[in-house]
Amino acid sequence: MSEPLQAIRPAVVIGGNRIPFARSNGAYSKASNQDMLTAALDGLIARFGLQGQRLGAVAAGAVLKHSKDFNLVRESVLGTSLSAQTPAYDVQMACATGMEAIGSLANKIKLGQIDSAIGGGVDTTSDAPIAVSEGLRAVLMDLSRARSTSAKLKALSKFRPRDLAPHAPGTGEPRTGLSMGDHQAITTKAWNVSREAQDELALASHKNLAAAYERNFFDDLITPFAGVSRDTNLRADSTLEKLATLKPAFGRNLGADATMTAGNSTPLTDGASAVLLGSEEYARENDLPMLANFVDFEAAAVDFVHGAEGLLMAPAYAVARILERNNLTLQDFDFYEIHEAFAGTVLSTLAAWESEDFCKNKLGLDAPLGSIDRSKLNVNGSSLAAGHPFAATGGRIVATLAKMLHEKGSGRGLISVCAAGGQGVVAILEAR
Amino acid sequence: MSARTRVVLAAAPSLATLYARAAGARLTALFPGAKPAGGALPQVEHHLDGLRVDPGKLVDYQRMMGDTVRDELPSVFVHGMVFPLAMSVMVREDFPLPLLGMVHLANKATHVRPISPAATLSATAHAENLRGHRAGTQLDLVVEVGEGSEVVWRGVSTYLARGVWPGAGPGAPAEPHAAFAAPGRTASWKLAADTGRAYAAVLGDYNPIHLSAASARALGMKRAIAHGMYLAGRALAAAAPHGTGYDWEIEFATPVFLPSTVDVAFDVGAGRTTFSGWGARSGKPHFSGSITAL
Repeated sequence: MSEPLQAIRPAVVIGGNRIPFARSNGAYSKASNQDMLTAALDGLIARFGLQGQRLGAVAAGAVLKHSKDFNLVRESVLGTSLSAQTPAYDVQMACATGMEAIGSLANKIKLGQIDSAIGGGVDTTSDAPIAVSEGLRAVLMDLSRARSTSAKLKALSKFRPRDLAPHAPGTGEPRTGLSMGDHQAITTKAWNVSREAQDELALASHKNLAAAYERNFFDDLITPFAGVSRDTNLRADSTLEKLATLKPAFGRNLGADATMTAGNSTPLTDGASAVLLGSEEYARENDLPMLANFVDFEAAAVDFVHGAEGLLMAPAYAVARILERNNLTLQDFDFYEIHEAFAGTVLSTLAAWESEDFCKNKLGLDAPLGSIDRSKLNVNGSSLAAGHPFAATGGRIVATLAKMLHEKGSGRGLISVCAAGGQGVVAILEAR
Repeated sequence: MSARTRVVLAAAPSLATLYARAAGARLTALFPGAKPAGGALPQVEHHLDGLRVDPGKLVDYQRMMGDTVRDELPSVFVHGMVFPLAMSVMVREDFPLPLLGMVHLANKATHVRPISPAATLSATAHAENLRGHRAGTQLDLVVEVGEGSEVVWRGVSTYLARGVWPGAGPGAPAEPHAAFAAPGRTASWKLAADTGRAYAAVLGDYNPIHLSAASARALGMKRAIAHGMYLAGRALAAAAPHGTGYDWEIEFATPVFLPSTVDVAFDVGAGRTTFSGWGARSGKPHFSGSITAL
């Protein structure tokens, strides 16, 4: 006997806002995560007239966080004109932070627990936390625990000059010691993705993002910050010839097979994004637009530690599961938003879905998921052009896709975001 | 069944003392070959009771290897605990090979079941299977670790004394290394110059070949080399099962000179994980091994 399902209602995407993404150690060098998240929230609040409102929840996060930012999102909310009675919490799931925050909020709305919410994320690699070395930290902790003078002196005696070297966070996977790019290089080679195909995808990202700016697509999705009004990584005049001159940046141990460059990989970037979600009733009562339904989302993870799968391939698995649950095929979408951590990630994922062997032996399917219409992929640009402030990418994509679907007036969009730790989150949005 | 005479030690020998004795023996003998050649292995086993884990050292070990601090003894930590006992066999007057400068060829161990850090352990060590090697003489050091009457860990370490020929002299000439083709890497270990000193600080093994370039050169190495058990410990921290016993083995091909970057591949099969490591720059094979859940 199955339990009766709790009645669920649609969760709708009302709109989004982000600040332009800026290359690391550039325009936002002095801005903190809290500054940027507050700016993204302020813009969203102003756009939809949320001043003084008590929202159901605000959930966001940052991948690189200072220890002082233990309540980053609540502190940011307190700095906005939202009601101080709006609860807020931090989420962290590496580069899928924004997607997990937004998806979980949508679930709460669907269940009727809350009527409105803001989900998003922020990251800075310019104002990154620098930690003291483990040696110095151990000395300081022992010192703080020491009661007597002799115990304090004993703790101090363990200090070594080399302990003064600070430790900055890296993008290396803790369990493998390989950078994310070096991990992707393994996958890129395994799927025989060519340098040319990666450069073409990177070029398309820049051209599409530039075209979207040209037609003012982002006018109601972005508010300027710190004198920046466009993503600073955007190179509208990039060419395949220029991209072809770049030397490999990752997987250099592969020699002639190294194909990943700074041009077809996302740069470190600073920025923040936020998405307003609500029930249909909430949107109607407050006279707010309804761009798209947040239909479903799914997380997956893979064992990259022992080489069973590529680090960034989890979304390939998540998509198979979300399609089955929603009784859809990979071709039933009008837009595909596949986060461009690296061009190789997108192309490896597409190749996997086309592969009979992968779909049969890894996904357990009878037939491959198949190919997609590439003209529907990342049509307004993605992370290669816009940049990728880790936790902020989910909010950028959800807001962009919801607007695209609303403009079209019908259809469905698929989101795929890979993340460190061999994880990924995918989602389905439906036009309204 | 053993014809070996049991020597019960009153306390765990200090590795510093053992190395000093080994160095002294080396000074008197001057050359490795000066040890009484043709000697057989002493028919003794050294035994120690009341072995307890130093909880602080255990945490230091787990941190050093990138392992999780948990209430199970890592297999290589057990090896480190009983290594002084094994050494005490090798520094005996009647042991036929010089200890200093000996290198690890291989290790295998059966970690019979999870061992609690609170356990009181006993250990028995003996040497066996003295035999030739193209580069010298090799032997096995066998250590059994017990809790009560139960054997919970059994390890066999194979060592090589280079250039020492107690028997008929050099055996078969070196066979050329089979060409090594590195598999796809799944991890990369950046080993700092002080890797050997860090290992010594935790497990007390101050063998000069691991400590510094200068001390290693004194023993004929061009630079300090990573401790084989450090490499095994890293591999086990990444792939050993928990909550069950397991067999593991590792063979060493060429030394890892410090500092160095070692590329590593893990391959997970049904109940068995194989691993190998090679020089990220040199492409030379360093080690290979496997872990099998019991």
